[in-house]
Amino acid sequence: MNDAIRLNGVTKTFGTKVAVNNLDLSIPMGALWGFIGPNGAGKTTTIRMIMSILFPDKGEIQVLGKASALEAKDRIGYLPEERGVYKKMKVGAFLKYMESLKRGSGKGSRRHVRQWLERVGLEDVEHKKCEELSKGMQQKVQFICAVIHEPELLILDEPFSGLDPINMLLLRELVLEQSRRGATIIFSTHVMSQAEQLCDHVVMIHDGDKVLDESLDGIRRRFDPRTILFEPLDNEADVSSLDELPWVEKVSRSEREFAISLVPDTDPGEAIRQVAAAVPTSRIELHRPTLEDVFVRIVTQSGDPSANELSQLRAGLREDAGREVSS
Amino acid sequence: MRKIVHIAVREFLSTVLTRGFIIGVLVTPLMIAVMIILMPLLMNEQAPRIEGEIAVIDPSGEVHQGLADYLKPEAIAERRGALKEFASEQMQKMPGGAANEALAEPTLNALLGEVPNLDIVQRPADFDLESEKRLLTEEGPTEDRRLALIVVHEDAVQRQDGEENFGSYDFFVREKLDDRIVDEVRSGLRHAIVDARIRTTDLDRDYIEALTQVPRVRSTTVTEEGEKETNEVVNMLLPAGFMILLLVSVLTGGQYLLTTTIEEKSSRVVEVLLSAVSPMQLMTGKILGQMGVGLVILALYAGMGIVGLVSFALLGLVDLALLIYLLIFYVIAYFVLASMMAAIGAAVTEMREAQTLMTPVMVTLMIPWLLWLPITRNPNSIFATVTSFIPPINTFVMLLRMTSTSPPPTWQVWLCIAIGLISVWGALWFAAKVFRVGLLMFGKPPNFATLIKWVKMA
Repeated sequence: MNDAIRLNGVTKTFGTKVAVNNLDLSIPMGALWGFIGPNGAGKTTTIRMIMSILFPDKGEIQVLGKASALEAKDRIGYLPEERGVYKKMKVGAFLKYMESLKRGSGKGSRRHVRQWLERVGLEDVEHKKCEELSKGMQQKVQFICAVIHEPELLILDEPFSGLDPINMLLLRELVLEQSRRGATIIFSTHVMSQAEQLCDHVVMIHDGDKVLDESLDGIRRRFDPRTILFEPLDNEADVSSLDELPWVEKVSRSEREFAISLVPDTDPGEAIRQVAAAVPTSRIELHRPTLEDVFVRIVTQSGDPSANELSQLRAGLREDAGREVSS
Repeated sequence: MRKIVHIAVREFLSTVLTRGFIIGVLVTPLMIAVMIILMPLLMNEQAPRIEGEIAVIDPSGEVHQGLADYLKPEAIAERRGALKEFASEQMQKMPGGAANEALAEPTLNALLGEVPNLDIVQRPADFDLESEKRLLTEEGPTEDRRLALIVVHEDAVQRQDGEENFGSYDFFVREKLDDRIVDEVRSGLRHAIVDARIRTTDLDRDYIEALTQVPRVRSTTVTEEGEKETNEVVNMLLPAGFMILLLVSVLTGGQYLLTTTIEEKSSRVVEVLLSAVSPMQLMTGKILGQMGVGLVILALYAGMGIVGLVSFALLGLVDLALLIYLLIFYVIAYFVLASMMAAIGAAVTEMREAQTLMTPVMVTLMIPWLLWLPITRNPNSIFATVTSFIPPINTFVMLLRMTSTSPPPTWQVWLCIAIGLISVWGALWFAAKVFRVGLLMFGKPPNFATLIKWVKMA
C-alpha cells in the first residue's frame, strides 16, 4: 500500500506490435519519477493503461491502492500527451468545468481558477475563448487542468514539449512545487536531459521493454565515469605519449577535443593528474555519463550499431525530436 | 453520477446556446408564427374599387340586358353574399367549425375585393371595330374609362342553319385589367347568352338547372363505435405530423451528438476528459445532454402544433395519451440513434469520414417516410404489424399506426416498447465498446468490419 502505482507483468499488443512487454513497476508514494525512452517506446501506452484508458492484455495494475484508476480518478491528475481544449469555450469556464469533473463532488470554483491563472501568468485570459490562446498558453491551461483539484498522483506525459525556455522553467518550478506538496509525480519524456534535471529516479523503456529502473544516483554510480575529456593548449601538441600509459584503453579525437577511455578500475583522479602532466591542457574534465549516454550504452550493448544509427538514436532523445503524432 | 450531470449540462448548454441552434431551431417557427399573424393583415388590404365602362356590341339585342343585370353592383353583392354563406357552411362541416368560419370571412373579402361599379353600354351594330378598340387604350377619368369591349357573334343566340354549335363572342380588354373583373364579365356573358338561348327556345331555365344538379356528398366512416364523417385530409396528415415530429427531434439531437463527439476527438480534448471521467460516463453524459436538446425541439414543435390545433378547435383529434407515447417513443428512438452517432463520432476523426458510416443509418431513417402512405392507409396489415416490431424503425411505424384511424391493440404497443427498450440496451452496449476503443484511435477511418473488431477487442 506504500506504492502509488504497481504494475505486474503488464503486456499490451496492438495487432502484431508489442507496445508494452511484461512490464513490472512499483512507484512509491511521494516520489518524483521520470519515465523515459524515445518516441514509440511504449511510454504513452503504459500511462494510458495506468489511467485505465486502455486495458492491458495481460497483467495487473494497481493505482493508489485500487484495482483500477477509474476508482481513484478524482485523486489523479493527468496531463496527456495528446491534449486539447474546447475551442469555443471560455478559458475560465473550461477550467471550472474540468475542476468540477475532477472533483467528482461539488462544483469547480472560480477562485481556484483565478488563482491558478495568476500563478502561470495568464490572469487576463479568463474570458477569452480557448482557441484565441497560443499553443504555449493552452499548454499552461492544460497543466492547470491536471493539478487544479490537488491530486495525490500526478502523471505528466511530455509536459514541456513546445514550451519556450522561460515557460519551461516556470512549469518545472510548478511541478517541483507539486512534489513538495507531497504528490507522487510521474513524468514522461523522450528528452533525457529534462528527466535528469527533475527526477530522482528513472524508468527507462525501449521497444516496450523496461531497460532501466534505478535512482539517478545509482545510475551515476553504476555507470562510473570512465572517460576523460581534454583540450590541449597547443592544437598541434603531440599526444601520442598518452597511448603508452597503462590505464588508457583508447584515445579518440573530435576536432579540438580528445577523449580518453579508461581501463576499468582506474582511479580517475590519478589519471587526470597524469594526463595534465603529459600534455599541457586548456581544459580537462572527468566526463559524467548523461542519461542519454546511459541509454545509448544500454540499447547498443547487444548489437554493434553504425555511427549513423547511433546519431539517429541520440537525436531521438533530444528536445527537437518530432512528436509521435503531430497535433 | 454527478460527473455525468456535469457533462450533460455542458453538452446541452454548449449546443443550445450557439447562434446556429438559436437561428435554426427557434427562429424558423418564429417566422412561421409571424407569417400566420401578418398574413390576414396583409390580405385585408383591399384593392381599390374598380369603375368603368364595358361596351357591348350585340347584334341579336338579346344578350346585353342580361349582362347588365348580372353586373349590377347589387347583383354582384348578392352573389357574393351567397358565396360567403356557402363557404361558411362548408367550413362548419370541416373540422374546426366556427374558428374556420371566422377566418374564412376576411379571407373571402380580401380575395373578392370591393364590389366593382361597372357601366354597361350598348354600341350600335354598325360599329367600327378599330375605333371601338382604340377606346381601350385611351386614358381618362376612371369612371368613364372603357375597360372591355365585347362583340357578340350573330349566331350566339340562334344557331345558323345546318350548324351544330352556337356562336360565341369576342372579348377585348384594357391592359392590366383586374382578372376578377374579367372573370365576372365572362361568367355574366355566359349567363346572359345561355339565358337568351333558353328564352328563344321556350324552355324553363330553372327546370334545366335543377335537372343538372347532383350535390357532392361527403363520405361517412362506419366503425364499431358508430358512424362519423370521413376526414381524409386529417386522417393522412396527423400520423405524418407525429412521425415528422419524432424524426426531426431524434435527428437533431443525434446530429449534434455526432458533431460534438467528432469535435472533442479531433481537438484532442477527449483524453483530457478521459483523465477525469470514464468513457462510459462521458458517453452517457453526452447522450443525455443531447437528449435534452432533442426534447427542447420536440416540446417546441409539439407545443406549436398544439397551439395550432387549439386555435382551430381541433384538439379533440389528438388523444393526450398519444403525446405521452410520443415521449416514450422519442426516448427509445433517440437512444438507439444517439448510440450509433456516438459510436460513429468516436470512430472517425473528421466529419467527412463520418459520411460513409452515416449512410446506412440515414437510409434506415428514410424507411418510415416510404412507409408512411401504405401504413396510414392500412395500419393493421401484416406488413405494418411486422415492421412495428423491427428496431430501429419500430417506434416510427408504431406511432404511424397509433395515430391512424384504426389504432393497433394495446399489447402490440407495449410489445413494441419492450422491443424498443431491448434495442436501446443493445445499441448502448455496442456504442460503449466502439466509443471506448475509437476515441483514442486516429488515422485511417474504420469501416464496419473494424467496428466489429473493436467491439470484440473492448
